[in-house]
Amino acid sequence: MIRSKRGETDPYRKQLKSDCESLLGRFQKTESVRFQVFSEIWRESNFTHIFYGAVKHEKRAFSRRVLDLAYSYFLPPLTFQIRVGGLYLLYSLYRCQTASPPEQIRVALKDWDEVKKFEKDAADAQHLDAVYILRQLRFLKAFHFTAMPTLLAYKKKRKTEKSDLSEEFVERASRPQELINGDLLEELSNIHELYEKMKTSVSLPSEKSVNMIHRSFVPQLRGSVLDFHKWQQNKDETDLDEDCGEGTSSQQECSNRAGLIASIKSKAYGEAAEASKSRRHRQVEVDPTSNESGPSNAPGRSRKTKPSFKARTKEKFHFSGDQLKASSSTTMISHLTSLDPVAAENVKYFKRFPSK
Amino acid sequence: MAASGGSTTSNTNIPEYEYSDVNTKPFHIGGFRSEWLSRLTPDDYSYQPEEEDTFDANFAKEHGVSAETMAELKSVCSIDSLRCHPEDEQPDPEVVPPNPTLQTLIERKKKQDYKASRKITKNRHDLYANELERLTYGMKPEAVDDILPEGEVILTVNVYYPASYDKFNYVRPHMTLLMTGSHSLAEFRDAICCVSDLQVCGEFSNTPNIAPDFISKDHYKSAFFYFEGVFYNDMRYPECQDISMTTIEWAKSHNFPSYSQAKMEDTRFMDLNVKVGFPYLYCHQGDCEHLVIITDVRLTHKNDCLDKELYPLLTHKHRVATQKCSVCHIFIGRWFTTNDEFAPSHPCLFCDKCFRTLHYNEDGYKLGDFLAYPYVDRGAFN
Repeated sequence: MIRSKRGETDPYRKQLKSDCESLLGRFQKTESVRFQVFSEIWRESNFTHIFYGAVKHEKRAFSRRVLDLAYSYFLPPLTFQIRVGGLYLLYSLYRCQTASPPEQIRVALKDWDEVKKFEKDAADAQHLDAVYILRQLRFLKAFHFTAMPTLLAYKKKRKTEKSDLSEEFVERASRPQELINGDLLEELSNIHELYEKMKTSVSLPSEKSVNMIHRSFVPQLRGSVLDFHKWQQNKDETDLDEDCGEGTSSQQECSNRAGLIASIKSKAYGEAAEASKSRRHRQVEVDPTSNESGPSNAPGRSRKTKPSFKARTKEKFHFSGDQLKASSSTTMISHLTSLDPVAAENVKYFKRFPSK
Repeated sequence: MAASGGSTTSNTNIPEYEYSDVNTKPFHIGGFRSEWLSRLTPDDYSYQPEEEDTFDANFAKEHGVSAETMAELKSVCSIDSLRCHPEDEQPDPEVVPPNPTLQTLIERKKKQDYKASRKITKNRHDLYANELERLTYGMKPEAVDDILPEGEVILTVNVYYPASYDKFNYVRPHMTLLMTGSHSLAEFRDAICCVSDLQVCGEFSNTPNIAPDFISKDHYKSAFFYFEGVFYNDMRYPECQDISMTTIEWAKSHNFPSYSQAKMEDTRFMDLNVKVGFPYLYCHQGDCEHLVIITDVRLTHKNDCLDKELYPLLTHKHRVATQKCSVCHIFIGRWFTTNDEFAPSHPCLFCDKCFRTLHYNEDGYKLGDFLAYPYVDRGAFN
């Protein structure tokens, strides 16, 4: 029952996300799936405090939000280790929440099969603590078996949110490897052999019209898949190196270009056009300290943003004392027409959300 | 899992998003329930807590775990391992701890400091946000027959303000009801309270005492729900008419896909084919239309209110500011008058007492010239 105020549907979303991701990131670095390791990280970061300080009526809504967020880390396509981390996170948050009555963990029907599969994988790999924790949650009746992970009320978002999943947590695509596995290749080569035999027995080997396929396509296929796998691994390693190199070179280019543009501009604006004869009496004056963006000032930047009108006004006109106060607020017509200076009235703060 | 042979059959009973985070595709509620029950063991959704020893024994047997490993597992995974402070040094959970490192805590502290500096009085909406829920949480009935059966489906339905309201049409639900799968739509209709049901039409300055006999609810009993192309009409009383016929006939003549009809009292929530999170319609009084959105469908849980008699359960009611009598400013206005020589404004609102004392003498005779109409304030159900 998350009630939404104007612009405040999810006040702590970014912060919660960054806290959870930093916790899971640390867990990922340990390359372990033991609950002991996780609980150590939890204790070190004093994560239980995340619930502290919430006012009475905020507790339930906050618990709901944090559990929903943690639930998303428990589902595919994240890596197995992150999913185990997500499970531990769910368990810890559920046990440590301060909301009373406690909020349950919502499991959607469409995700249940994934959860069962996860349990099976963990059991097969003898990760007893993960299985135990999952069973514990069921024992504690921590789950709400729902249709969808969150409450839906037809709230359409103005901007489509960017993909939420952090890149490091996502399972790397391994579909080519899955599809072209050893068994498949063996079968393919068997069929290929049979086909070749049949072809030679039926027709002469010199007939070119029957040569429709590559002779050695099975080894080629295998080679391509291995290359892809190698490339995937290399990509992660070289990504870091490339960034530093590219950065500096592009900056230099940028500044060169900027200098060129700046020189062109200065020629254009530096000399004012001469006024025509009929207007000689009103010569155009070139103001050396003009407010037009001085291109000569900043050759390093290709684009200088003009200071705002407010900033320019402040710069140009100097006030003191009362006038300063008066200048920053809008002029009241009544003040213009009164003879004596009017004492500054206390501006009444208008409440944005008037309580009824 | 395309490699696992054959095309993946889309099971229509498993809810899927139609638009991510907005609403789902239509699914059958009864089918949804059976899908869940087929995947779970009765222990999962029973109200009785399991014995810890049985749990440990079962776990040990299933995974071939020795007693020592079991004990070790238990101690590692217990809540003690999550304790950040020793038992006697627990910091106060009501306050943000000093020197927070977590981003959430820093943000929370910032918000609290800002709020404290503003000196705003407490927001009434927030204070009472969960009031109704707190009242009924975990209530168990006295009679065993009245307990909600295990594995029953609970739907959370939001009913919104009618389109005739200016404010808060789309955002704030007027009321949130919890319904069970075995409730019929007619029971749902009875649980929705709309002020337009209480409106009284007519001028009653001469006969102020008989006004309550004429509320619209009794006059115009027809209503319908619209879910997924089917109009469910209320046909319980002989006065009820099929008000959806007009729409259906209009649709036919304009080449819309054809709609069908059914009876409200014969349809249970379990039989419905609906989308979660998608707006549907409830129409009564001929033209008072409310949006209805089913926000959640789930199985019952031991912490829910288990008393069948309390359902349909109201979990949230939005409070509307009411308009008070122009004389006493204490009671809610019940009458409004026009062409009234005693009244300061036209029209003018009065509570019952002030109205009678001002306009009628002790014997109940009408004084002066005026027209009076009964008024139902929007916040009458507060």
